[in-house]
Amino acid sequence: MNGQQMEMTMKKWMMAAALAGAGTVAQAETVAVITPYLAQPGTQMYVEGFEAAAEEKGWDVNVVDTAGDVAAAISRIEDAVTQNVDAIVINVDPAQVAAGLIAAEQAGIPVVGMDAGSDPLLAANITSNGYAMAAETAVYVANRLNGEGTVVQFVFDAFPPVQIRGVIADAVFGNYPDIEVLDRITPDVSDGGIADSRAQMEAILAANPDPGSIGAVWAAWDQPALGALQAIQDAGRGDEGIVIVGMDANPQARAAIAEGGNFEASMAQDFEGIGRTTADTVGRLLAGEELRASVIYVPTQLITAANAGE
Amino acid sequence: MMNTLRQSGTLLGFLAIVVFFAVQLPDTFLTARNLINITQQLSMLIVVASAMTIVMVMGDFDLSVGSVASLAGVVAAVMFAHDYPVWQGVLAALGMGLLAGLGNGVLVSYVGILPFVATLGTLTVFSGMAFVVSDGKTIYGKDIPAEFSGFARGGWAAEWLGQGMKIPNLTIAALLVLILVWVILEQTTFGRRLYAIGGNREAALLAGLRVKRLRLLAFGLTGLGAAGAGLMYAARVASANPTQGSGLMLDAIAAVFLGMTMSRHGEPRVLFTLVGVLMLGILDNGLTQMKVDSYIREILVGVIVILSVGVAVLTKRQR
Repeated sequence: MNGQQMEMTMKKWMMAAALAGAGTVAQAETVAVITPYLAQPGTQMYVEGFEAAAEEKGWDVNVVDTAGDVAAAISRIEDAVTQNVDAIVINVDPAQVAAGLIAAEQAGIPVVGMDAGSDPLLAANITSNGYAMAAETAVYVANRLNGEGTVVQFVFDAFPPVQIRGVIADAVFGNYPDIEVLDRITPDVSDGGIADSRAQMEAILAANPDPGSIGAVWAAWDQPALGALQAIQDAGRGDEGIVIVGMDANPQARAAIAEGGNFEASMAQDFEGIGRTTADTVGRLLAGEELRASVIYVPTQLITAANAGE
Repeated sequence: MMNTLRQSGTLLGFLAIVVFFAVQLPDTFLTARNLINITQQLSMLIVVASAMTIVMVMGDFDLSVGSVASLAGVVAAVMFAHDYPVWQGVLAALGMGLLAGLGNGVLVSYVGILPFVATLGTLTVFSGMAFVVSDGKTIYGKDIPAEFSGFARGGWAAEWLGQGMKIPNLTIAALLVLILVWVILEQTTFGRRLYAIGGNREAALLAGLRVKRLRLLAFGLTGLGAAGAGLMYAARVASANPTQGSGLMLDAIAAVFLGMTMSRHGEPRVLFTLVGVLMLGILDNGLTQMKVDSYIREILVGVIVILSVGVAVLTKRQR
């Protein structure tokens, strides 16, 4: 037993002694999880991960879904405050439920965001690191090109979570003297993003007819990557070795990556891990720990043909 | 005797629910803070349900109130985003609501389409317009002025209720609308004429009432009320999204129906509508505090609505 383990054991004993001394059965901590978006697959996975971790901790968890109604989410946060729960977890834009968060703050109840966006009223927000995700796919492209070639970027600077991805890709490609960014395209996303990206890619293919003149396509999310893939295949240029990368690893992107064609890589967020880490963070707060960083990142995973089917 | 029982049945049910939660949640339910909270949570529904009562008095319906509420929110928010002052955004949204309601009124009373069909159609139209106006996005953050969202967070200090307590502005707004609708329906000839139309439309027509115009105005008022509720909703969530009001419609109709079980001849009365709203809201609040699963909660609320209306219908038949 090393020193650290020893200390842990000591702590456990001391806690047990304290509980026994109090002469009461430890009351289960109550945590309310409130979201309007439980019907969405991502949210369900967050909540499942959270519930699994909370069960291990013996917490009493109450999951409340307001079926898309954000005002009702505020009401349920207020109810949880009235009920005097030990902590509240939200999966909804904190700016929209600020009225509820203020009530929680006044009652001294910590609120933790489960991929909710950061806000001073939240004790912490647990999410994926968009900067790191973008760095991984951008470096993947640079390595595949051996640091030399042209890249087409699909970005969307109007939406902050996607904008930060573009900034990182710019930095990575800018750091390679022999990588040239051919074009930086913001597709029209009103149709879902695939169709317009495809049209834009078709124009670029027409402007660069020579094989090898386009080295790679870096897309800030999966839809433009899928659109570019369609354009390249339909132009009969699928065998030129143009590398395509996307982000988020949605099912359609995973299927394309698994085929082993031009679409080579994307990034998968660990939704269940976000739920588990949220539970751990709540646990730390309940134990009285002061969190230094209010944004906590859960590692993401590069998806390639090797693991796309998992 | 039977009639009194029928009339008071829902009220007794309501009291039973309150007593049940008071016993189950002794420390938190019947506190001033929680009760004030409930009134704030219900303020938007009180406004929509009061407005809905106006058309239901005539035996009509307005299924489009939720869409009108959403549309009002995005209209105001888009105006705010384009730097119009708050009062102009609010007026534009209310004007839009009035026009939308009058549009329903024209379809129902002048064209003669059944209200269920006409307002089902406009429900979709207004919802589509909300998407067009907002471009399908949620408008939030810096686009929503602090004075607008601050209204929903502010209130009148009420130290007599306890330290730091205040009556929320949203609650006050809802009460004002409720009183206004009560005055319109119960204290004016206009209101009594609406009840006459609800009692027997042919007779009302033969008695010389301008039924078409009255129905048109009634629908206009309902649209105006729905827009008001939509603004309150947008202020509360400090954002506007093209679907956010859609949940209000069914709850509003349910509340009016619950209220109708309490009146003498089964006609809608706005004060009874208020009891219906309170019943729905107290169930939501109490069951959340008791940690009842949110899906079970929905089933329970539906069952209770059916139960109270069912009991009222059965006791009426026995008479």
